[in-house]
Amino acid sequence: MVPTEYYVALSAIIFTIGALGVLTRRSAIMIFLSVELMLNAANLALVAYARQWSAAGADVALSGQAAVFIILAIAAAEVAVGLGILVAIFRYRASSDVDGLAQVRL
Amino acid sequence: MTVAIAAFAPLITLLGALTTGLLGKKLKEPWAGIIASSAVGLAFGLACLAFIGLTQTDSVRVPLWSYLQAGGFNLSLGFVLDRLSVLMMLIITGVGLLIHIYSLGYMHGDVNFSRYFAYLNLFVTAMLILVLADSYLLTFIGWEGVGVCSYLLIGFWYGERVNADAARKAFIVNRVGDVGFLLAMFTCVLAFGTLNITEVGEAARGLESGSTILTVIGLFFLLAAAGKSAQLPLQVWLPDAMAGPTPVSALIHAATMVTAGVYLVARSGALFAQTPQASAAVAWVGALTAIVAAATAFTQTDIKKILAYSTVSQLGYMFVGVGVGAYWAGMFHVFTHAFFKALLFLAAGSVIHAMHEEQDVRNMGGLAKHLPITHLTALTAVLAISGVPLLAGFFSKDAILASAFNSQLVAGYGSHLLYLVLLGGAAMTAFYMFRWYYLVFQGEERFDLETRRKLHESPMVMTLPLMILAFMSVVAGYLGLPEFAFTNRFELWLAPVTETAASFAHPPAIIEWILMTLSIAASLGGLGYAYWVYALKNGEPAKQWAQTLGQFTALANSAFGFDWLYKRIFTRPAEQLAAVSSESDKVVVDDGIRGSLTSVGVLSKMFSVFQSGFVRAYALAILSGVALLIVVVLVAGGGQ
Amino acid sequence: MSLLLIVLPLVTSLMLWLPMDVLAKRMIAIVGSSLTFIAALVLPATRVDVRWLPGLEAYFSIDSSGAARTLILVAALMVIPTTVVAGQVLERHKGTFLALLLLMQASLNGLFLAKDLVLYYIFWEATLIPSIIMLGVWGGEKRREAALKYLVYAVTSSFLMLIAILALRPLSGAASYRLADLLVATPQLAPSVQISLFLGFAVAFAVKVPLMPLHMWLPDFHEQNHPSGVADVAGTLYKVGAWGFFAWALPLLPAAAASLSPLMMTLAAITALYAAIIATAQTNLKRFLAYASLSHMGIAGVGVFALNATGLSGAMYLIAAQMASTGGLFLIAGMLYARRGSFEMDDYGGLAKSAPTLAAISMFVLFASIGVPGLSNFPGEFMSLMGAYQAFPVLGVVATLAVIAAGVYGVNMFQRVYQGQETTPVNDVSLFEVLVLVPVVGGILWLGIAPSPQLAQIDAQARLGAQRLSVPVHGEVVPENELLPEPSTVPDTAPEETPAPVPEEDIRERMPDTLASTSWSNLQNLVGGN
Repeated sequence: MVPTEYYVALSAIIFTIGALGVLTRRSAIMIFLSVELMLNAANLALVAYARQWSAAGADVALSGQAAVFIILAIAAAEVAVGLGILVAIFRYRASSDVDGLAQVRL
Repeated sequence: MTVAIAAFAPLITLLGALTTGLLGKKLKEPWAGIIASSAVGLAFGLACLAFIGLTQTDSVRVPLWSYLQAGGFNLSLGFVLDRLSVLMMLIITGVGLLIHIYSLGYMHGDVNFSRYFAYLNLFVTAMLILVLADSYLLTFIGWEGVGVCSYLLIGFWYGERVNADAARKAFIVNRVGDVGFLLAMFTCVLAFGTLNITEVGEAARGLESGSTILTVIGLFFLLAAAGKSAQLPLQVWLPDAMAGPTPVSALIHAATMVTAGVYLVARSGALFAQTPQASAAVAWVGALTAIVAAATAFTQTDIKKILAYSTVSQLGYMFVGVGVGAYWAGMFHVFTHAFFKALLFLAAGSVIHAMHEEQDVRNMGGLAKHLPITHLTALTAVLAISGVPLLAGFFSKDAILASAFNSQLVAGYGSHLLYLVLLGGAAMTAFYMFRWYYLVFQGEERFDLETRRKLHESPMVMTLPLMILAFMSVVAGYLGLPEFAFTNRFELWLAPVTETAASFAHPPAIIEWILMTLSIAASLGGLGYAYWVYALKNGEPAKQWAQTLGQFTALANSAFGFDWLYKRIFTRPAEQLAAVSSESDKVVVDDGIRGSLTSVGVLSKMFSVFQSGFVRAYALAILSGVALLIVVVLVAGGGQ
Repeated sequence: MSLLLIVLPLVTSLMLWLPMDVLAKRMIAIVGSSLTFIAALVLPATRVDVRWLPGLEAYFSIDSSGAARTLILVAALMVIPTTVVAGQVLERHKGTFLALLLLMQASLNGLFLAKDLVLYYIFWEATLIPSIIMLGVWGGEKRREAALKYLVYAVTSSFLMLIAILALRPLSGAASYRLADLLVATPQLAPSVQISLFLGFAVAFAVKVPLMPLHMWLPDFHEQNHPSGVADVAGTLYKVGAWGFFAWALPLLPAAAASLSPLMMTLAAITALYAAIIATAQTNLKRFLAYASLSHMGIAGVGVFALNATGLSGAMYLIAAQMASTGGLFLIAGMLYARRGSFEMDDYGGLAKSAPTLAAISMFVLFASIGVPGLSNFPGEFMSLMGAYQAFPVLGVVATLAVIAAGVYGVNMFQRVYQGQETTPVNDVSLFEVLVLVPVVGGILWLGIAPSPQLAQIDAQARLGAQRLSVPVHGEVVPENELLPEPSTVPDTAPEETPAPVPEEDIRERMPDTLASTSWSNLQNLVGGN
């Protein structure tokens, strides 16, 4: 069996890539994708631990996987709403550059 | 039970007030007056019934309903019909009835005829409540009630600013007195836990004479009484109150309401008899007022204002009476004064009526032959108030003088000096009253022909009350003949109520006779001197006096500058304080708080720097925050 | 049933949101408010006590006995004419206003009835919302500023109270947030802890009383509210600061109350006099009424901080009475505005000639307001001042001086508006206006002539409170207690009947096990720590 540490390491790498993406990209679409990466990195860590717990026979094993489903559902909803907003902004500004949105603040 | 039925009197007059007030202008002219007069007449009938009933018994209590209850302090309202309250009832409803009838003629043609009678009935109601109350609280309810009615009636012709101002002044000055009443009640509750007048009296009897608490209560009551009865230093409102219709001046500002202060002290006799200090204060306030007001009356030229200062002065006498512990004597003067002073005002009203609203005595004179009935009745009253022997005022004033001389209660506070002051006051009274009489009714006619042609004696409805009051001004005094030589029925009648710890010296009869002779001399001397000045010398000596005294005359003319002074030390500073506070309330308090809000705003500006709006900056902040947290947990929480 | 007093106006309010004809809405509002009044008048006092928020140990606990009943009754009486007027005069959104008014009544009733501190807080804030909206939507030109100011005052101060509420149970270890449980536990708190908690409550209540210097929202609030005065009436009903002290802060924190009462009473006495003096200089009718009302609240304040049954009862009665008198004056001010379109007194004058009935009614209500005996405000004012005088004579005298100033501002206002040279004639009261004022006049007479039945109810509660306050706490005599009058001279502080404290065993039974074991030890630590 592949050790849990490997999964966690991979998860950390993906998370870092995602985080760097969020910080460096200016396109809202790319930021979105990076956020998805970060979420899935977390998902990966969660299922990895869940597997480890179930191997140990603990009865909380399923909760990690349940959390993943919740995150997936939230991510889907977020994408739906977020993309909607993005489309609206794009129509209005013909650009998806997030820095330009600073003027939206109060 | 015939006595208790008199407790319905206030209800009857209240119904009268409601009927005339609510129907208002729907009532044709005489009807409002007739309804109101019958209500007072009915009340007078009940008072007579109670009077007859009280020959058999001392007092009857009529419990009404529970009013206050809080923390063990319970107060039920109730009426007490005893000899003092029924005496006051008789005065209020009796004189009140005559004045109601007189008003039928006097107010003829006024657009607010029914409103006038509604107020008048309301006043009688409040006054009856005041005198019938068995607790200070109910007295206070009536006390403020008469104040309100007085306010309404002084400002009856509110269209003119002067009248409204006079009403306002009366109300506010009375409120100062009311604060005294409130504080007296609070202190009573603090000291005795009750406001029932009898219980307070009994509790006071149980205390040592001269206890501080009693003196404090007494002085607060004095403030209250001074406010309502226009005594120093709160006398300023009464002369202005003459702005009201003349019958109102007669009823409220001469015969009844203004004597409420005297009644209050007499009613609290048991308490005042235990505190020589407060009693002496009452007596001296009265004596000083008597002199100051009399001196002011010398120089006045308004027919009603002279009478107003005379009322203030006579109220001073009553204060001395109750102050020295002779509660019956004070009440006796209330009783006789009600007749002759009401008569004087009504006569003045008759004159004003005949002269078409002329009030300046300098424009009168020689009216005796034009207004024969008014003249004769007024002359009776002038003689009575001057203390001419065998008329009512003589007996009651002499009773006060003798009591002041003999009082043991205030013996330590110059009771003999009080006597001398009052004696001088008596001479002054005789002088200014004769001046009033002479300037109005005798001498040359100082008005134009047009006025002369329209002069007419008042109708029967006005002269009849004058005649009845004149009759009473003659005979009322015989109820209270001096006791050293005769039976004093008046004192005996009131004895169950006014018998207190206050005692009097009983000098040999010869001294009493001498005292009486002195009073007669003062009265006749005053009259005689006034006759010499005004009738024989045509007022020349008075003008010379005025020139010699110069400043003093001006001072007396302005009522010794009390109005001037109060305007400077109370009214204006208070107005300025109000204006300044009103402004500072906006500026200091409001801006102070707004300032603190602004500082919150500055703070929020500082923090809002972080809200740059650059999404990626937020993301970096979140990320570094999380990283920082992880480091902290790893380092600090490493142990667990 | 006490629940009905909340549910009736609430249901009526909810019905008013349904789409229907404005006339129907007005009818429903009038019927609903009348039913509430009848319910308050005839239904016997009952209590409801249901476990509500288990984690927080908050109960839905309401009780319609005591002073609450009087306050609810008078408030219900005043809501009726207010719905009538509002349905008539408002220019827009009549239905919404009526719904808000009844919503406010529902939460106000809840506020008076609540016997659980959390529930109380919820109603406290719930009452605020409708009054803010009334000001913000129907107010005058500067309604935004006024509403913002009001909101800042109310919310900031309530926040401090919230902190105090949240801290109260853990610190005292009370079994629940119910008053009965809190009353058992809180006197054990050390005086210093009590004082900090008390200050939290005091700020919130002082804003709502209001006491100097936290009163500035009040004149703007009234000046900017709708000129008809309907929202102002609602404002006079919402004078819940003194109630907060009376029902919660004082009995819960007796040691703090005893040590802070001189300070608080000084503030109240100054408020009474200061506001009355300012009222004499006002030329705007509504600002005038606001300051007059502020002065009354100062008098109620001195009654409350007298900490004796006389003062406490008097203050509550005064709060109830001013609902009728001050509320009535606001309605009259609205009627004047309808005639002249101005609140400046200088624009009026001599109105008594053309509108004698209006003048007579105004004078009646005005005299009630300045405390003429026999009318509504007098019994409460008298007892408040008497209680204050018994506790601190000098402050009592200062507050009593407001009586003179009240005379001044009362007759000033009447003279400026109704007396003097007649200005353009106006119409006298219409039948509609007379009908509106009937409940006001009736209420004033009823409260002024026979206060005893209502006072008996209030007194029962006030007496319990006063006894708690005169009992030394924390095993030591609080020095300020010496300032309280000797029991021998003042009958009302003499303990004639001891309050029945809930035995300790009962509380432990009601507590969840964990709490029973931990909170008492917490308490020990706390007390020991101080």
